[in-house]
Amino acid sequence: MDRARFMMLLRRMDWGMLVAVGALLGVGVLFIYSACYRGDPDTVAPFYRKQMAWSGAGGIAFAVLTFLDYRRLAEQAWPIYAVGIALLLLVLFVGPTINNAKRWLDLPGVRVQPSEFAKLSTLLALARYLARPGLNLAHPQVVLSTGAIAVVPFVLVVLEPDLGTAAVLVPTTFMLLYAAGVPLKTLGLLVLIGLLLLPVGWFALKGYQQERILVFFEPAKDPLGAGWNKIQSQIAVGSGGLMGKGYLAGTQNVLGFLPRNVAPTDFIYSVIAEETGFVGSALVLSLYGAVITAAIRAALISRDKLGRLLSVGVAVMFFSHVFVNIAMTIGLMPITGLPLPLVSYGGSFTVSIMAALGLTQSVYVRRRRS
Amino acid sequence: MIRGGTVTSRGELLRIRILLLVMLAMLGLLAAALWRVQVAQGHEFEGDLKKQSVRRVRLPGQRGEILDRHGHVLAGNRPSYCIALYLEELRQGGRSNTVNSVMERLDGLGLLIGRDPELDREDVNDHILQTLPLPLIAWRDLDEAELARFAEHAASLSGVDVFVEAVRVYPEGRTACHVLGSVKFDSKIVNADQPFHYFYPETVGRAGLEKRFDEDLAGVAGGKSLLVDVSGYRHEDLAVREPEAGSDLLLALDLKAQRAAEQALQGVAGAAVIMDPRNGDVLALASAPTYDPNEFVPILTQATWDRLNSDPGHPMVHRAVAGTYAPGSVFKPVTAFAALENGKINAGTSFTCPGYFELGRARFNCWYRHGHGAQNVRGALRNSCNVFFYETGLLTGREMIAHMASAMGFGEKTGIDIDYEAPGRIPLRHQQQGWYSGDTCNFSIGQGPVTVTPLQMAVMASTIANGGNVPWPRLVLGIRAPGQDAFAPIPPRMVNRMNWSKRSLDLVQGGMRDVVMHRSGTGRLARIPGINVSGKTGTAEFGKKGNPKKRAWMIVYAPTEKPRYAIALVVDEGQGGGVDAAPRVQYILGQLFDVPLPESEVVHG
Repeated sequence: MDRARFMMLLRRMDWGMLVAVGALLGVGVLFIYSACYRGDPDTVAPFYRKQMAWSGAGGIAFAVLTFLDYRRLAEQAWPIYAVGIALLLLVLFVGPTINNAKRWLDLPGVRVQPSEFAKLSTLLALARYLARPGLNLAHPQVVLSTGAIAVVPFVLVVLEPDLGTAAVLVPTTFMLLYAAGVPLKTLGLLVLIGLLLLPVGWFALKGYQQERILVFFEPAKDPLGAGWNKIQSQIAVGSGGLMGKGYLAGTQNVLGFLPRNVAPTDFIYSVIAEETGFVGSALVLSLYGAVITAAIRAALISRDKLGRLLSVGVAVMFFSHVFVNIAMTIGLMPITGLPLPLVSYGGSFTVSIMAALGLTQSVYVRRRRS
Repeated sequence: MIRGGTVTSRGELLRIRILLLVMLAMLGLLAAALWRVQVAQGHEFEGDLKKQSVRRVRLPGQRGEILDRHGHVLAGNRPSYCIALYLEELRQGGRSNTVNSVMERLDGLGLLIGRDPELDREDVNDHILQTLPLPLIAWRDLDEAELARFAEHAASLSGVDVFVEAVRVYPEGRTACHVLGSVKFDSKIVNADQPFHYFYPETVGRAGLEKRFDEDLAGVAGGKSLLVDVSGYRHEDLAVREPEAGSDLLLALDLKAQRAAEQALQGVAGAAVIMDPRNGDVLALASAPTYDPNEFVPILTQATWDRLNSDPGHPMVHRAVAGTYAPGSVFKPVTAFAALENGKINAGTSFTCPGYFELGRARFNCWYRHGHGAQNVRGALRNSCNVFFYETGLLTGREMIAHMASAMGFGEKTGIDIDYEAPGRIPLRHQQQGWYSGDTCNFSIGQGPVTVTPLQMAVMASTIANGGNVPWPRLVLGIRAPGQDAFAPIPPRMVNRMNWSKRSLDLVQGGMRDVVMHRSGTGRLARIPGINVSGKTGTAEFGKKGNPKKRAWMIVYAPTEKPRYAIALVVDEGQGGGVDAAPRVQYILGQLFDVPLPESEVVHG
């Protein structure tokens, strides 16, 4: 790419999204610090510093994907998809077992989550397939092929087990079919079949996963065990009130009622809610709304169907994480393992989400001229 | 390059717009839920948060002092310097690791200050389970040297600090121990209206005035709320409500009089009561043997408790108010008044004492075998002649004697402000069966079914001294609330007016004057130079047949003309009132009137 084109692309970037993303990354670092704070600035665990590094790495991934032409990337969709599948298989057979799950691969110097990569590689493959010119979307074979592309990584992720991540693939795939133009009748049928299959899904769940769902409906059943996080998170959120208790002044995390290992990761929003109150929580929610809107804006103004589908997929994935995590924090949904994008502590996740958002930027900067 | 479709259908764009709307709407739903949880229901969750992380600790107030009438401190407080450990600064991961680090710290400190460790692992473990947010007291009552060593070497160590406790102290030692009572260190005072989670140990009265006036002395407890973390360790203090100090008690006791009374009872078991007959103030309330209330503080050891309980002298019994004794001859003035006031005898009535008295087939001996000869009532009092009073008693009858005794306060409690008072006993006025003339004879001389307490005797002496007003014995003059200068007074009062005629009074008072001042009065050993003293001795038999024992009594009031003091003294086991009680009373009088006396064998020997 030459310098002139580089400058042009730079000017065409969606600064709204950049600001919102930057703000969220900043919020993340700030509140990971607070989540690890025990009353003494000298003893704060250095997670926030790592998160700053991950944010930096994410920024690089974002930039790379922006300047990379998404259409060139889509040309390699199938090999990339294959790599994703390979990594998933690798982690199942070779990966270390941590907390009864095989989700991580130890590469020199860094630990990565193949499921994050697989989310994007699957999205790429799905978008490439559905954007194919001349595809008859009313034909049932379209749905079946789409299902086939998605089900392989889905099953492999479920086997890790990582239900949360696997579950995100479902609405993403569905919305891609919807955005691609599959007739509503077909979509309706799919929803029906999905509902009927729910009981099957229940019995496929492991004990502790079923426990989580049961405790969601009745946390008093096990207040010291599975219900603990839900109750403590609600107390944290509720006691924040309108204006919150102030930065670093949240007692739930400082006193350890919100367990130390989940406060900076899955329950980071509880910390934000307790310390900044409704005002802060709603603000963060708005920032997420801005990011999702920007991604959809890219979809609406994309020059081609491929870009449209890619952006919709990223928006839906992003939205799913945000919605499920915050709902869980407030107590509206059972506990899952889904982290909050850009704010929760986590390296692979941050980098992969930034890469996904970079993908939408790639679509946006190459939008139609008018 | 891939080209994904050339025409962008409006339908697709519409679908995508709808999708955005749905997603934003769902985020709006989250915002509404946030509003409900944080703003609408925020209080509930704040309450839950407080419940799980806030603890309340009860803070006892400073205990009030007990003073004698001149302001001398009889019961007060002193600081006890303790070493306390703060486990939240010593904690390790896991309880047994924390216990280890605490034990290590204890060993190190013990070496530094020079004291053996008094806590073991179990104590530390119990503390963690039961009172974790409170400081753990490792040693109490550090002396100056130990404190200095601590300040020099250990003050900068983490998790350790000096902790000051208020400890009850009795500066006069055993003096007035029965009146003051004793205290204990209690660490769980149940208080239903203000539930606390934790309690600092507090001094609580367990006997005597300390117990009876415990509520006034204790003041009002304060409270402290503190934040604990999920493991229960103290995180920080939140708020303090200061306790209110207790009220002080001003007693009617006079320290000098009390000391005199207790010194007079040196070496024997017995009791002595000194009252002011003009208003009923109790200047001394002494009981022997005594105990040291300081031994109960800060902790009563099992050894001390065993020793006190197994002492054959029963030092814990407050004989002055709880001891019931046969009065013997000190009861005779009651019989005299009963006879005189009911017109059964008069100034001229005379009976002859040959040394014995015959009733039917029984023969009662007078204590003077040779007989006192003819006497009137005044002479009979001076001689303490049994025969005169047998005759008089039979004439008067049991009912009238009992009536007179009851009016003078016998047979019921005086209502003095202290626990365990005994009412004593006089034969019921309407008891008919099983009463013989011989019983009346015994009753007339204070034997048989009549028992009195030393306090009741002091009240009787006061009544005769002031001419017929039965006083209520006032032990506590007033109560002073903290921060006040003046005591809220407990006013003196009279219980009864006897309305004795002047004639009767002159005879009985005259007879009692002779008991001490006449050269052959039975109480002459109580004489002191320069002061006119009136009184009555008594020797009361008790105990089982074959093992007869005697109580030795004396009551006095002085000066005869305008009495300021009325005294009743009894020795549990003696030979006779004139021999055992009178010299002791003489000692007391010498102290009260500041008259120097040669050292008496009886009192100091």
